[in-house]
Amino acid sequence: MIKNYFKIAFRNISRNLGFTFLNIFGLTLGVAACLSIFLIVRNELGYDGFNSKADRTYRVTLNAIDFNANVSMGIIPTMRTYFPQLEHATQVFYQKDVTLKIGTNHFSEKNYVFGDSELDKVFDYQWLAGDHNTALSSPNSLVLTESLANKYFPHGNAMGQVIELDNKIAKVTGIIKDPPTNTSLPVGVILSVSTFQKQVEGMSKHFWAIPGGSYAYIVLPKNYSIHTLEKLIPGYIKNVWGKDVDATVKMPLQPLRDIHFDQRYINNIITPTSKDTYYALIGVALLIIITACINFINLATARAIKRAKEVGVRKVLGASRPQLIGQFMGEITLMVLVSVLLGVGLCALFLSQANAWMSVDISPDQILQPQVLSWIAAIAVVVILCAGLYPAFVQSAFQPVDSFKNNSGTSTKGLTLRKGLVVMQFTISQVLIVGTLIVASQMDFFRNQDLGFNKDAVITVNMPIKEKREVFQQQLALMPGVKEFSVSSGAPSYNDSFSPFSAPALGFPKTNVTEIKFIDEKYTDMFQLTMLAGEKITRKADNDTLHKVVVNETLMHDLAIHDPQKMVNQRINVSGDMATVIGVVKDFQSESKHKKRRACVLEYVPGMFFNVSIRLQSKNMPATIAAIGKDWSTLFPDDVFKYEFIDEHIAKMYQQEQKVYAAFQLFSGIAILIGCLGLYGLIAFAASQRTKEVGIRKVLGAPLRSIIGLFTREFAFLIGIAFLIAAPLGYYIMHKWLENFAYHIHIGPAIFVVAIASSMVIAALTTAHQTLKAALANPVKSLRSE
Amino acid sequence: MIKITDLQKYYRTEEVETIALNKLSIEVKEGEFVAIMGPSGCGKSTLLNILGLLDDPDGGSYLFNSIEVADFNERKRADLRKHNIGFVFQSFNLIDELTVFENVELPLIYTGVPASERVGRVEKVLDKMQIMHRRNHYPQQLSGGQQQRVAVARAVVNNPKLILADEPTGNLDSSNGNEVMELLTDLNEQGTTIIMVTHSEHDARYSHRIIRLLDGQTVMENIMI
Repeated sequence: MIKNYFKIAFRNISRNLGFTFLNIFGLTLGVAACLSIFLIVRNELGYDGFNSKADRTYRVTLNAIDFNANVSMGIIPTMRTYFPQLEHATQVFYQKDVTLKIGTNHFSEKNYVFGDSELDKVFDYQWLAGDHNTALSSPNSLVLTESLANKYFPHGNAMGQVIELDNKIAKVTGIIKDPPTNTSLPVGVILSVSTFQKQVEGMSKHFWAIPGGSYAYIVLPKNYSIHTLEKLIPGYIKNVWGKDVDATVKMPLQPLRDIHFDQRYINNIITPTSKDTYYALIGVALLIIITACINFINLATARAIKRAKEVGVRKVLGASRPQLIGQFMGEITLMVLVSVLLGVGLCALFLSQANAWMSVDISPDQILQPQVLSWIAAIAVVVILCAGLYPAFVQSAFQPVDSFKNNSGTSTKGLTLRKGLVVMQFTISQVLIVGTLIVASQMDFFRNQDLGFNKDAVITVNMPIKEKREVFQQQLALMPGVKEFSVSSGAPSYNDSFSPFSAPALGFPKTNVTEIKFIDEKYTDMFQLTMLAGEKITRKADNDTLHKVVVNETLMHDLAIHDPQKMVNQRINVSGDMATVIGVVKDFQSESKHKKRRACVLEYVPGMFFNVSIRLQSKNMPATIAAIGKDWSTLFPDDVFKYEFIDEHIAKMYQQEQKVYAAFQLFSGIAILIGCLGLYGLIAFAASQRTKEVGIRKVLGAPLRSIIGLFTREFAFLIGIAFLIAAPLGYYIMHKWLENFAYHIHIGPAIFVVAIASSMVIAALTTAHQTLKAALANPVKSLRSE
Repeated sequence: MIKITDLQKYYRTEEVETIALNKLSIEVKEGEFVAIMGPSGCGKSTLLNILGLLDDPDGGSYLFNSIEVADFNERKRADLRKHNIGFVFQSFNLIDELTVFENVELPLIYTGVPASERVGRVEKVLDKMQIMHRRNHYPQQLSGGQQQRVAVARAVVNNPKLILADEPTGNLDSSNGNEVMELLTDLNEQGTTIIMVTHSEHDARYSHRIIRLLDGQTVMENIMI
């Protein structure tokens, strides 16, 4: 019997290639999209999950004014003593990049970490060479990842080799397998922290000596409650750091597996992302599968009328309803299995593309993992049940007498259901279109609107050796491709320095936090910052010890002053020193628009000018950059020339949103395409069903436009109904999403006009071929064929 | 074999109620060949559908082999049908996706006959219907006469006690029509009861008895000599 079902299923599929193609292609796309989403979501939600102790591992953080991921280098040594119950504790010092010198070659590498032998106890690294207990114990010991070891020493002889980095000589004492990329602490080069014992010792004595990149991790013993430890933390702060630390300061213990999703923190290594993003992606996956299932149901129930005779015959010959349900389910199963196999193949084929697009790193091998395979099987079963059961029940319910009279008895009900499902598909499409348009507008807003400074054609470069900075600037001044440049502690969109400030004279004695930028006299003009009152920062004589600062609007508002003129000449305390406000600058965007703008202080301090921002002439930018790089190599031979365009830096702030945007674009496109396939099938079916009606109308003199209207009117109506559902739904969902940002666009009517118009155009293009074919058919042939 | 008494069947729409069978009473004995005739809309096909357990009567009694089947549910009707009744339709009603062999084999599958036995039985009946050489063809590759021979083969492969034929020659030319009527006659002579609905006086003459219907009632019965 089963063999018979599959034989019939195969023949039915091969005899109705158009119908089969629409179903299988749609579901293949759906499965490929859902599988990709599953792999992406699994990768993102699985951050740090490769560590066997992940659920017991916490990052020790600081909550004074902000939530800060960085803590003093003294935290872990003191916690080890104060909390002997901790299973492991390690202090990590993370640097974004490092230049390694091997022989005469220089290599610039990311993810440079100082760690001790406890690092391996907290994070599960797989050691390929070296002793994991001792590899990081001695000073000047270096551990490399497998990929870097092979890169530097392709003959497999990395162990024991000597590498120069950070003006130190280190010996390779261990090689670890490259850790998974979904980690909140990416490592490439690990240098033993004891190499910098003296510097670390000095910093370790101060709670507020918080070097950028200093992170602390602890592992609790099994069955030890985090709440117990949390209750002991205030005592630890008071007893160990008491006189330095205000009682309001907290040290939250952040679960390792939350780091990737906790957006409250500053100074994270990787940009955290909201879990909601991935839940939204799961939602999109569901919508895609629903759309594909709707295609199955719609096309199958539409074809049911054609198959009514077969059902009737089978029933007459003794087939029971369960047998017929089995037969139809067999057909669906066959199509779903083919689609799933093709979908898995398609996913594997395009995964590298999706990786690049979504900035993730997922290997196609993951598809073969048992968890993924069981998920694929689950998708197949769900689709078989969702898409197959209803049509199977409908088709098997036909009564032989009705089917022989070409009266299935359920056609009206089926038609209503099909219309309802088409409305659902259009609703899904329109919600996705609205979502995509809003994400696109928000992305545009992030990058281009209201930054408060001119970012065009500006690169920033950090200058390593203080003594040679002046010479480098002189060379830049002579370079024809350089339009202008300015030295500072960082361009407007970079904020690394924060400082306490207060204004006792203005009635604000309590310490608040401000961003602080040290800038030269050219900075304000070069970045086209807008002065609201007073003077801009000017060059200061070396013997001038007076602190003169420019503050931004936010700082002024923090001090309850609303007239910039009144802010000028006020005295505020910055970093413990009194300073005179000489001017007020309009707010500019120094952080991502996720956050409210902060108070900001600008001051002329040449000793802090380690960064140069260079605006390039628009002509021959690559040549100018190459020329700058050449001068750089002469001046700083031990450092690789690294530059970054400011707009690229800004784009990085919105990397996660870019991922969402890419996902929305890709998966909305797929959902809409699947919907179009179904719509094409339905209109083709409707056209064939109405051949006789069209013929009669034409004989009676109906013009072409009237016949076209016959088909399009109905779909336009359905799109209209879908819009009435999709518009408020899309507005609600996207309004919630926009609330994640301190600054965001306002959803205007234009987006909804575009959504319904594009739905209409998509539907018109999808149905055009079949509609025209039906409308242009020769009525004589149409009537004869009936 | 069949005894119906005061059989009623109505067709209702929102506004109109049409009486298809109006307290019809008929008896057919085992081995009989009965033709049912009458103008369009007189209730012939409705009667055949009820006799074939494809449709429910709205009233009256239907005894099949002395068992009351008028109130049988779907499952019981299907069970009785597949073991006892074969059908031949005007429009053949072969399944386009199945070959000749598979179409004929289908009733055996539904009655649970093992595959090894099915082959022999199907081949035997195809041979008998002189359609063996077309066993691997699909219905649309056959002429009308050949298709109806396949339909007859399918109707008899389960050795039913009763064959219901609904205008079996309606879509055939006279030569093919005669062939089909000869086949039915042969089957009847071998003991199969046949009830045939027809418009054709010529075909009706193959039967033993003609029942003429009008407005859902018997108006005349002719015994053929």
